[in-house]
Amino acid sequence: MNKEEFLTQMQDVLQTEEELSFDTVLDDLVEWDSLSVMATMAFLETSFNVKTNMNDYKSMKTIGDIARKAGL
Amino acid sequence: MISFNTEQRFIVTGASSGIGEGVALLLNELGASVIAIARNEERLRAMQAKAKHPENIHIEVKDLVEDIAGLPSYVKSLKDKYGKFQGLACCAGVGSLMSLQSISLEQAKQMFDINYFSTLFLVKGFADRRVNNGKGSSIVAIASIAASIAEKGQLAYAGSKAAIVASMKAISRELAPQGVCVNTVSPSMIKTPMLGDGDSDYYKEMLIKYPFGFGEVQDAAQMIVFLLSDKSCWISGQNYILDCGTY
Repeated sequence: MNKEEFLTQMQDVLQTEEELSFDTVLDDLVEWDSLSVMATMAFLETSFNVKTNMNDYKSMKTIGDIARKAGL
Repeated sequence: MISFNTEQRFIVTGASSGIGEGVALLLNELGASVIAIARNEERLRAMQAKAKHPENIHIEVKDLVEDIAGLPSYVKSLKDKYGKFQGLACCAGVGSLMSLQSISLEQAKQMFDINYFSTLFLVKGFADRRVNNGKGSSIVAIASIAASIAEKGQLAYAGSKAAIVASMKAISRELAPQGVCVNTVSPSMIKTPMLGDGDSDYYKEMLIKYPFGFGEVQDAAQMIVFLLSDKSCWISGQNYILDCGTY
């Protein structure tokens, strides 16, 4: 998965109409809540085989942080 | 007084007969646009012909169990075609009787595919923030009295409907932050094609239990449309049993 594909997939994971970039601040998205974190955890595990837990997301500030966790 | 406008779009599954048809026609009568889904185009057209505003009934022929995992994408494609939705009424379902002695795994799974999984994945599609209108949007799934009180032969049906009630409760909590209401309605004996022939022994045997007689489609449709409307905006996570005090 390249970076562009990752951003498109993240739009679906977060169910957002916002255009996402690596600099998008998670807390600026109204969709970023505990359910979105659960959806993101499932996405990273299914698509990248990367296991995360709720705590990992406390230190993530941007979409780019999630991408780096995914190994992109 | 409940009223809608044509910009308020509702998806109704099972819209070609029974309670689904009643819901589609009532929503339409009260001014809403209806995306009417069922397998049989002919019967959908017959329902449309009865509508007060047939131009606001949009027919979509679809077999919901054909690709259950693809239902969220299907709902999204409907949104691209018609616009965002105000509500979803999941009325499609089957009610065949099977005894424990005779039931096969395949039959049991088929029952859950139609009644439970297709409902669940339609709801998943509707719940996407890009698909519904957000605050004030509403989901109603039709369960059954069998989810609470089941008769013999209803084991698979009752299980699939109880699963709907239980899951919708959890979903109501998940969607509450978005302001989306999620409820189930559990009808008992309503005079629909599913109920079958009025001459059967089963029909007569059951009728004795009902002091008010069996319900009409309108009785269920009125409740469902109320739950889809803005008059019920403080009601979520509930399961309303429609049995007129029988059980």
